[in-house]
Amino acid sequence: MSTLIRTDVTSVKLCKDIILAGIGSFLCTFYTKNSKPIQKIQALNGQKIRGLIPSKCLTKLLIFGGKQFTIFNEIESIFKSQIDAVVYDDWIHTAIWLSENKVALLSAHNVVTTWDITTTKLLQQHINKDNSILYSGLLQPLQHDILVFSGTVYSQVILQWFGDEQPLHYLKGHKGVIFSISCNLQRGIIVTTSDDRSVKIWSVTSVHSDYNIKTYWQNAHIDCVHDLYGHLARVMRNTLTNLYIISVGEDSAICFWDYNGNLLKKTISHKNSCIWSLDADESNLVTGGGDCGIMMHPLSSVTYNSHGEVINTSVTPKKVLFTARNNIVITTVGNVLNYYNSNLNKIQEIRLNHTSTYQLVGLSSCKQLIAVVDMDGNLDIFMENCKGDPGLKKIIETRLHLGKILSMQWAGNRHLVFCSEGGVITVGASKGNTIEIIANYLLPPCKERWLTASALHDTKDTLIVGDRCGHIHLYEWRRQQPAYTMKRVHGRYGPTSIDIRNDIVRTTGRDGTVRYLKIINSGFKYMSCKDLEFEWVEKFLDVQGKYVCGFRERSLVVYDVENDLKVVDVSCGGGHRSWDVVRYIENNGGCYEECLRLMFVKNTQVYVNTFRLRDIVSTVILPGTHSKEINCLRTYRRRNDDPVTWFITGGEDTTLRVSTSEQEAEFWDRVIFRHLSNVRALKLLSVSHDEVLVVSAGGRAQICIRTIGFVDKNVTAEELIDYQIKGTDRERRGNQNWRNCSVDFDPETRIMDVEVDELNEAKVMIYTACSDGEVRVFEWNRRGGQFTMIQEVRHHKTCILKLKMFTCSNKKIITTCGTRGDVAFWEVSSEDGTLAEGPALVLRTNESGINSVDIKVTGGCQFVLATGGDDNAVHMSLVRLGGDGGWAAVTSHAYLNAHCSQVTGLALVEGLCVTTGVDQRVTSVSWRLEGEDIKTEFIDQMYSDVSDIHGMDVVRDSGDRLTVCVYGKGIQVIELLKP
Amino acid sequence: MGKTSKDKRDIYYRLAKEEGWRARSAFKLLQINEEHNIFNGVLRAVDLCAAPGSWSQVLTKKLRQNAENDDDVKIVAVDLQAMAALPGVKQIQGDITKISTANEIIKEFEGLKADLVVCDGAPDVTGLHDIDEYVQSQLLLAALNITTHVLKNGGVFVAKIFRGKDVTLVYSQLKLFFEFVTVSKPRSSRNSSIEAFVICQNYSPPPGYVPTMINPLLDHKYCDFNQLTGPNRFIVPFIACGDLSAYDSDTSYPLLLEGQSSYEYKEPVQGPIDPPYKDVLEKTKSMQINNS
Repeated sequence: MSTLIRTDVTSVKLCKDIILAGIGSFLCTFYTKNSKPIQKIQALNGQKIRGLIPSKCLTKLLIFGGKQFTIFNEIESIFKSQIDAVVYDDWIHTAIWLSENKVALLSAHNVVTTWDITTTKLLQQHINKDNSILYSGLLQPLQHDILVFSGTVYSQVILQWFGDEQPLHYLKGHKGVIFSISCNLQRGIIVTTSDDRSVKIWSVTSVHSDYNIKTYWQNAHIDCVHDLYGHLARVMRNTLTNLYIISVGEDSAICFWDYNGNLLKKTISHKNSCIWSLDADESNLVTGGGDCGIMMHPLSSVTYNSHGEVINTSVTPKKVLFTARNNIVITTVGNVLNYYNSNLNKIQEIRLNHTSTYQLVGLSSCKQLIAVVDMDGNLDIFMENCKGDPGLKKIIETRLHLGKILSMQWAGNRHLVFCSEGGVITVGASKGNTIEIIANYLLPPCKERWLTASALHDTKDTLIVGDRCGHIHLYEWRRQQPAYTMKRVHGRYGPTSIDIRNDIVRTTGRDGTVRYLKIINSGFKYMSCKDLEFEWVEKFLDVQGKYVCGFRERSLVVYDVENDLKVVDVSCGGGHRSWDVVRYIENNGGCYEECLRLMFVKNTQVYVNTFRLRDIVSTVILPGTHSKEINCLRTYRRRNDDPVTWFITGGEDTTLRVSTSEQEAEFWDRVIFRHLSNVRALKLLSVSHDEVLVVSAGGRAQICIRTIGFVDKNVTAEELIDYQIKGTDRERRGNQNWRNCSVDFDPETRIMDVEVDELNEAKVMIYTACSDGEVRVFEWNRRGGQFTMIQEVRHHKTCILKLKMFTCSNKKIITTCGTRGDVAFWEVSSEDGTLAEGPALVLRTNESGINSVDIKVTGGCQFVLATGGDDNAVHMSLVRLGGDGGWAAVTSHAYLNAHCSQVTGLALVEGLCVTTGVDQRVTSVSWRLEGEDIKTEFIDQMYSDVSDIHGMDVVRDSGDRLTVCVYGKGIQVIELLKP
Repeated sequence: MGKTSKDKRDIYYRLAKEEGWRARSAFKLLQINEEHNIFNGVLRAVDLCAAPGSWSQVLTKKLRQNAENDDDVKIVAVDLQAMAALPGVKQIQGDITKISTANEIIKEFEGLKADLVVCDGAPDVTGLHDIDEYVQSQLLLAALNITTHVLKNGGVFVAKIFRGKDVTLVYSQLKLFFEFVTVSKPRSSRNSSIEAFVICQNYSPPPGYVPTMINPLLDHKYCDFNQLTGPNRFIVPFIACGDLSAYDSDTSYPLLLEGQSSYEYKEPVQGPIDPPYKDVLEKTKSMQINNS
């Protein structure tokens, strides 16, 4: 029984107020209005759903995929199977309803069939002349007939009247396989997409006017009128609405075109994975992707003209800021502060009695207080009133004697942090109508000795600042020198903003990252880092840390960090001009709308753009995960009865993710880390019941260690080790670029598998299997942090695929398995964790590479080894170790019929051996020892929708049930009954 | 990334360049032969889906050892795409689903039938395993269909197969036409790759079977003796091929291999001809398509 399924979303359909999606062989439904899941039901058997076609009256649903189709009925948003899935001879590409009881299918050999769905009888079959493989097709129902469009592997679309011998037209022009065909006959338009990365619009013109009759088509001219390029890779699908042609591709791009071939908008969705499916009505577009996610995009975003305006002021603006009530503070070259009332379009001019023209302006975090200071220390603080007619009131006017003031920031709503000549940092707090200096600190010397950002801890005893060298300093209450300095955190410009929330420090910078630090004992602990898709990250817009703004080249960008979505992108000319962004909630007659307002100065004018997020932001219907195959997975539960399962996954997309699942819809990536290359293996070491060490390794010989903590449904992360066996690129070749550096003769190394073991309180051992045939052993000193390679041993002449550690008879043993089907056992020293010089026993079990291994200790000093390999076979061996007789393989047993392809996952528990493989089967076999003989018996086999299965992990082993999770292109959790 | 890193990552890619093969797949056919002796006594061979031509290269080299006179060896290479010429190989640019192509092959063999048919064809993969496997199995069945026109009784058929979820259907289909069907994976094929090769020996079509190209061969459906899931699935024997001491395609080797004293970078033997994206690159050279 499957309890959780996530894999490619190969079809989506918008039907009334429900979103239908095909996820593997399951039909999943969601409410459009709130994304809530309604139902998950298996519709096909061993095939992915490729099409969901509602009947005209919307009460029946034709579901097809691969060589099967079936019919479901809908009653009050709940779907029920009407017939058993029908298995046809050929791959179905498209299907339509002809009447309430009759459907037509077009299949891959260019065959059109019609079926009576009440009897599931084949009515008619027509084999078209060109019967080479089709990659796509379209059946267009006419008044009495069907028009057949076949997209061939030979780059052409064949147009045929159903039942005719000869095709009507050949549409030639594409240079690759045709992936999708749509048409709008009222407009006389056909749209095709192809392997050649183009979208083509064809226009149909005919001397006849009624496209329902054959002579219209016989006399039609079909010409390619637009040849459109917007995608960077293959264009998979397209759909048409009244206004737009929408195409999606392998490059994760959604392109919106008008019927004249203009690219109106292009957005990137589904995190760099292919977009497989789409459907649109007149207000929304739904897409399903290779990241296993479903997204809904409002069509209003295509031409959404943000409410853009130019503020008419007579002044020449220098700096602009939004206030709490969405009015604007504008500074000018003169000795005047301008307060612009957005509702009345009026400016209130406030004279300043400053003596220097150099002016610094700052806004408190509540946006109500505006501080203006000149270089000489003349400080004015204004407050915007909360009620009544908006206006600014001066609440403080004073002169500070701090020397030349070089920077000023608000730290919260009461404190101002100044930095003056000589690196003098002064913290002032408002008191009555003046400012009281509460602390002084000294900034260590640096080139431009002032602050870029600062934040004060709630308890006021810790000040954190960033300087122009990119360092972050922590000052303790009234101690002049920094208690702790973290060097070069955000490159040479320094952090652009610093926030502190519950001891977690969040910094942004112009190196495209957000970094998280934790304050502990007068210092920081580096926690984690988030890479964003734009270089210049300026600040967060909300306390929760969901929206962040910054610049990508010449555009002002607002980004949703939680959902990894770009929200707004406005071309403004770049980040060096004056600008501001505010997020706010607008009460629109009792309806609360989340809005964004952007402002920037260009050609001495102030431009303001307002966005209502509902109109532009895509909604996550089902959260996505890895964009490519998952190579490794481990599950973790805090307690046996904990309903929450954590999934730690590493993938071909170079990411390591931690996700939770309680219910299906809650499977959600909580944190994402990046590796340099693919993540091939990971293991966990429990630290406490809600904290684990995650050791991950993979391409570029990289090993990472992190502590992951589980608190409720949130994750805390601390990155501890990031190590490359061969050194980083810089370590390997210095500052030379690749052209100049000499050829490095050493082999590249991938880490294929990893194991972690706690030697003692201080030392953790890491064992790695490498693609150059070496087993490398590392020692990590948890206290000192040193990570060193202490041993390299070699037995296998070729790549080692698997490495596993187990304990038998109080001995720690490492097993390694290679591409030649060989298994080696190594004894591990209990003193220092190193391996013996050579293996204690070597076996050859499989014909070729071993892709899965498990071990079950069956008695004092004997254990059963089970291996599954590229030869489809599962081998089991009873091995005895130590003692007088030394190591010996006692007996062996193999079964060859469990799988027809590579066996990549294997779990050996008491009495049960569960295997899985690329053939997408999960096989349970019971096993037992009769004396020294291993006996097995087939119990059950089931099919999994996850393709390219890379492995399996046991989630839960309790009583009569074994719950396993298979992973590959997606994940599936399956519950198996024990014998 | 330096240009040597590809040489490092894949030993057979590098060896192919050094030994003058057009693609690393040449080693796969060589290793299949090591295990199954498929070239024994073969004089007439057909290479289906031949481009870029590495298997034809292997056939030329190996089959000439079977004859005293090079002219007695006939090799026909069929592909839809154009392929750079190879001495001793007759090229037919044609569709393997057309009877005319079969007739052309027979004509080339002067009315005789082939001793061996090989097919290393694979579709452009879409990224969805099920359809890729389906298209691959259809390609294999199309190759089998033309093979039934051109292969002599007792002949050998070798083809690439994707060992995916429905591979047992292809096995049971092949078993109808050949006495021995085994699946084999050369050491030069990566462990992580879904590809393998079926070696079908002793061609003996069912009694009364008349080859036809009018209808394509459709793959089998699951049935009692070949279930979707269960103990009765049609699984053929697996044999790994290639010497155990041969290089391993998953292993990272140093640039200086054992027994070598120098390394020199070599350009690929034959670059791609006319890829589908060629036009787009031409047309969009002046345009800027950005994903931002």
